[in-house]
This record gives sequence, C-alpha cells and structure tokens, in this order.
Amino acid sequence: MRNRLSTEELEAFLDSLRRLLADRCTEADVRRVMESRDGHDAALWKQLAEMGVAGLAIEPEHGGLGAGPAVLERAMEELGAVLAPTPILSSVLAASLLEGLEAAGRLLPGIADGSTIAAVALTGPKAKWTAETVGVEASPRGNGWQLEGRAAFVLHAGLADVLLVAARTADGIGLFELSPKAEGVAVSALPAFDRTLSMADVRFAGADAVRLSPAGDFWPEVEQALDLARVALAGEQAGGARRVFEITVDYARERHQFGRSIGSFQAIKHMAADLLLESESAISAARHAGTALAEGAEDAGQSVSLAAFACADAFSRVTADSIQMHGGIAFTWVNPVHLYLRRARADAQLFGTPAAMRERFVQQLGG
Amino acid sequence: MTEEQLAAEVRAWLSANWDAKQKVKAESFGRSPYQPFLQKVVAAGWAVPTWPKEIGGLGLTPAEGRLIEAEFAAVGAPGAGQDRHNLWANTALAHATPEFRDEIVPKLLTGSVGMCLLYSEPGAGSDLAAVRTRADREGDNFRVNGQKVWTSGAAIADYGMLIARTDWDAPKHKGISFFFLPMKQPGIDVRPLRQITDEAHFNEVFIADALVPAANLLGPLNGGWGVLQTALAYERSVMGDAARGPRSGKSSPKGDGALVELAREAGVLEDPLVRQDIAQVTAWKILNRLNNARAKAELKRGTSSPIMSLGKLAMSRILHQEARLRTQMLGAESMLEGADFPRAEDANFLSLNAYFTSIGGGTDQIQRNIIGERVLGLPKEPEVDRDMPFREVKSG
Repeated sequence: MRNRLSTEELEAFLDSLRRLLADRCTEADVRRVMESRDGHDAALWKQLAEMGVAGLAIEPEHGGLGAGPAVLERAMEELGAVLAPTPILSSVLAASLLEGLEAAGRLLPGIADGSTIAAVALTGPKAKWTAETVGVEASPRGNGWQLEGRAAFVLHAGLADVLLVAARTADGIGLFELSPKAEGVAVSALPAFDRTLSMADVRFAGADAVRLSPAGDFWPEVEQALDLARVALAGEQAGGARRVFEITVDYARERHQFGRSIGSFQAIKHMAADLLLESESAISAARHAGTALAEGAEDAGQSVSLAAFACADAFSRVTADSIQMHGGIAFTWVNPVHLYLRRARADAQLFGTPAAMRERFVQQLGG
Repeated sequence: MTEEQLAAEVRAWLSANWDAKQKVKAESFGRSPYQPFLQKVVAAGWAVPTWPKEIGGLGLTPAEGRLIEAEFAAVGAPGAGQDRHNLWANTALAHATPEFRDEIVPKLLTGSVGMCLLYSEPGAGSDLAAVRTRADREGDNFRVNGQKVWTSGAAIADYGMLIARTDWDAPKHKGISFFFLPMKQPGIDVRPLRQITDEAHFNEVFIADALVPAANLLGPLNGGWGVLQTALAYERSVMGDAARGPRSGKSSPKGDGALVELAREAGVLEDPLVRQDIAQVTAWKILNRLNNARAKAELKRGTSSPIMSLGKLAMSRILHQEARLRTQMLGAESMLEGADFPRAEDANFLSLNAYFTSIGGGTDQIQRNIIGERVLGLPKEPEVDRDMPFREVKSG
C-alpha cells in the first residue's frame, strides 16, 4: 500500500475531516454515545464513510481510498483528538486481513462504504494478541469448519454484521468468517470503562464458519494486520494526547488563583513543558511508524513497536497529569478530561501492552 | 541565476580552492586553523551570501544561502553559512557602530580572532540580568572590574563578548551594556575551572581594572540586554542537539542497538527489567531524532515548530537515564574507575557529565519556563526585582 495523496490533497482531506468532526463529533455527541453504551454513532460513521475514512486502508479496486498507513495515521490523529466513537479500528483490521484473499471482493466494498461492520476476533481471554493466546479452535466438518472456544475483548462485535475469527487448526492459525447471529455464537457485550468503546466476549459452540485463509498458518498476516492497527491506534493516541494537552494549557492560562493565572506558577508551567515533550514525541513516533509501513521500510516493525509503547505511555501520562493540573474541576463528571483518560487507559491495552511492545522492540534491536 | 547554475558555480569554486586534506579537528573558540581558506571564502561571498553586497554578502535569498551551505557540507569545507551560524559576526553586524563593525566583522568571518563569552557570574547564573561586573566610563574607555565564570576558550581568546553593569540606579535589565572586551591585556586573569568530571573545559575570568574602548560598545549604553538577546538566539541556534556521550567510548558500541550490546557484555541482557529500560532509553533517543527531523521539515515549510525548544529537555533525560541504566547493568563494577575499567569509567563519567546538558546553557528548569512562556503562552511569574533600582536588589 502506498500513500497516493499529494501533500496538498492530504491537507485538504484532513481539513474537511476536521470540519466534519468539529460539527458532528462534539463533546455532547461523544457523551450521547456514552449514555447509549453501544460505543457507536451510526450517523457519524455513515458520514465518515462517505468521506472515505472507513475505507482509508482498503484498496480502490474494493471501493476504498487505498491511501496507505501514513494517511490513515494522520486521519486517526483527528479522530483521536475528538474521541470519535467509531468502528475504525475494526475496519482497519478487516481491511488488512482480507486484502489479497478471495473474500476481499465480496466483503471489502461494504466495509469501505460503511454499510458492513466487520468485527475481528484475534485473541483469547489472556488478551496478548499473540498466536499462543488465540482461544478458538477450528475443526473441519463436511465442506466447512466449525468453531469452538472463546474470543475476548472483541471490538465492535455487538454492532457487527460479520465476524472474522482467528482460530487454531491442525496446520496453524486460520482466518474464519461467520455471522454473529449464527447458531452456536454468543456475543455478550462487555461493560467497558471507556464508555465510547464497544467491546464483547464471543463464545463459539460448534458454530459453522467459512475458512477464508488458504491452508497453512495465517498468523504472519494477522501480525501484519495488527501492526497496521497499532499504527492507527498510535495516531489516535497521539491526537488524543495533543488535544487534551491543549485543553489543559488553555485552562491553565484562564484559571486564576492567588490573583494570577495558575499557568504562571512554575509548578504548573513545568508540568506543561514536560507534557509538550510527551505529546509531540507521540506525534513524531506515530507519523514515523505510518511512513515506515507505507514505504515498506526494513525496520518498519521496530518503528511500529516504538510508536505502540511511546504513544500509549504518552497518552496515559498526558491525560493523568492533565487531571492533576486542572485540579478539582477535572474530578467532576462534566469536565471532559476524564473521557480522554478513559480512552487512554483502554488504548494502552489494545493489541499488546506497552511492556509487551517494549519487549518486542528490544528483540528487534537485536536483544 | 538558477539554482542549478549557482550550485555548479559553488562546486567549481570548491574544486579549485578546497583540498579535503586540509581538514583538521577544529575548536569552535580559538583562531581558526583554516584562515587562508576562509579569506578566500569571504572574498568570494560564500561566507555570508544573504547579507547585502555593501557588507560582504551577495544579496541572495535564504534558500540560495542554504544551497551554498549544502555544497560546502558535501565536501566537508568550512566557512559557509556564517550568516546563519556565526554568533560573533551576526551580533557585531546587528549592533556594532559602523566603524567597529567594519574592523571586526571581516576578522570574525575569517577566524583570525579568537572569541569567548563573558556572561555568567558566580552571582548571576539562571538570573543573568543580575550581573555585578562593572564598567565605568573613563575618557575614551570603560574601566572593567568583576568576575566571570563558565568561559570556554578564555585563555586563547582575543575578545570576549562582555555584559557589564553601567547604571546601578536603573532596574536590573536597564543598566547593562554589551562590549567586545580585548582579552590580551593586564588585568585579565584566566584560571581553569576543575569540573566534577575532573576535566577543565571552562575558566573563571577575574577582571581587575581592564580597559575596553568606548568604540567597542555594542548597541546603546545601558541597552546591553537587548543585544544579549540577539547573541543568545544565535548561540541557541548553533548549540543544536549535540551532546557528549561516555568519555572513552571504548566500551561503547554505536547505533540503536548499543545498549543491547552493553547488556549482553555485562551478562544482564536476560533481565526483564533491564530489557524494559533499554527499550525506554533507546526509544527516547530515537524519538529525539524524529522530533528534530520533524522540526526541520516544518521549518522548511515555513511553519514555526514548538519542537525546536524541546531538544534540550529530551537530551537531559536521555543522558541521565542512560547513565542510571549503565550503572544498573554494571552493578558493583561501577564503583571503580581508570583505564582498566572502561565500562565503569564510561558509566561514571556519563552520570556526572549529564549535568553539562541539564544545567549548562540554562538549567532544565529555566528551559521549562521558556517553553511554558514563549511556546505555550503561559504568563510569567511575577519578578519582585524587575523595576527596583539594581543597587537595592539582593543577589548572590
């Protein structure tokens, strides 16, 4: 995949995305989705899909923009900045998994135009997003397959029209497709701490499924899809960190105590300077990983690991310190900073923890 | 002239005048070892191409200037880009009288005078405007008395850029003047300053009844604070992100895998806590590179970048944490020093010299103030001595 947009086209695209989000994804909109607790704003997703956001990572022959990882990352910064409650991460995973498979022509156009939501089940209850922690077994039955076991923390499974499931077979991990409404499938929504996040446990008890991947181990392709999703997630984290930091600095400028702006106190000012370093480093890490994947750089995997833990840690620290810098007002529900904290805490667990990504990074450095 | 023509002209000139074998390790303070070559560079206009023709430039655009710099850099030749980097010449150009400017600037551009900075004092570190070195008018001269510190290159300098108090009744920022002080005269005593690393890169300068011609005053009398801001801006732009690593380098593999190699040698690569720390410190190093690259790219596009201000904080954290990690890897061996224990030597040196970055050139705390105030637009702390006659200010 390559970035096919010029710099001007990219800026224009991001600009219209920002305008749409400013209009359609305000704090009030995010809170409305939180109340509904299905983690999804269908109308917003439809409009984003019309702009091409849902199909950013999908090739043009399948109805997407085919804009590549670097552009995807930039778009995710914008979505992260406003905590947009969308199934974009699932869409990215599905796009990457399906590209090159026979099912691509059947499934991807619907994902690209937003009419199909595909949920991707890759990990078991241990939630390490590794081949070893896949919790579903697939065995042949007749012309097809049947699934047995449990997939955990499946994003957007409660909204999905299609489930894509990684399951263990005799010849390695395979990719399977079935309907979430099929017999033998039980989707139970999980009560997510980030209430803009749709997440479910999915249990399979002899459910019929179609094998999409060819014979042999498909986990290397799953790992590729996860890396693309990690870059998207890093963009969301970097964008969220930058925005919550801006909110905090604005507040520090306006809030007065002891007859002066609290931002004039070095105790606050120095925290702000440190957080600027964190949030700008997150932007650099995420963008670099996007470019490295887009260019197929030799050390792209290492750049993805770095972005994964650097952006997760930065988002966590910036949101946590932002609450402290605000003081009492940010301990109240009506203040938006805790919404970012909730997202940061969820994002730091997805597709591998920061500690796991650091370990992967050291291995990639030769350790 | 098109860019291609200009680049071709510079290349042709360099191939006629520059011999890469001339290359030597140059110090940034004393007189330049390249003087004969630099005279040719200045005569050709390549040293300061964006300056007007009347003062030795070519009247070119900044983009054309950078193109010339790039051609010089490609063959490793010195002397180009001084319109951006030469702190001394730019300060003199901006603030010296025309007579003094015409006398000193050519010497500064050709490296035929050595320079040093006479700013900090024992009682004026972070609070530079609290200087107590005094300059009193006597006929055509000022008589200078006081003490300066952290002066690199003082022993070999011909001039020092000096800030000294010329009005004790004005508030602290408004009674300072800026001079080019001749260093080679009685009354100037330079003493090396032994650092915690047991090296001596800096000096103390004791000034007793030294004289500076009034013609060497830069900017208005008592307007030295403004001149200093110009000089500091150029200094920061050349400081860049370079920082010294371990001293011997003997125990120091290079590249992003360096800490992994060190851990392997020390037999602690399997320790999961060490592995996590290796990832973190290496990540900070890479992130600093990525930040700098992004800042440069944004600068090229004409958008000013807040990232420029962050390099120093980032580097301080890298150096201190790398020192901690190296010490942790070595364990008891880190109690030793000397040539037989290069790994301990490196870790111990780094643990001390990290302060060169986190204190030097303004402490990290001052840097956080600067970021907060100039980048993020947060208000300044009230300064109780700002409008007080300096004579009444407590300092030291």
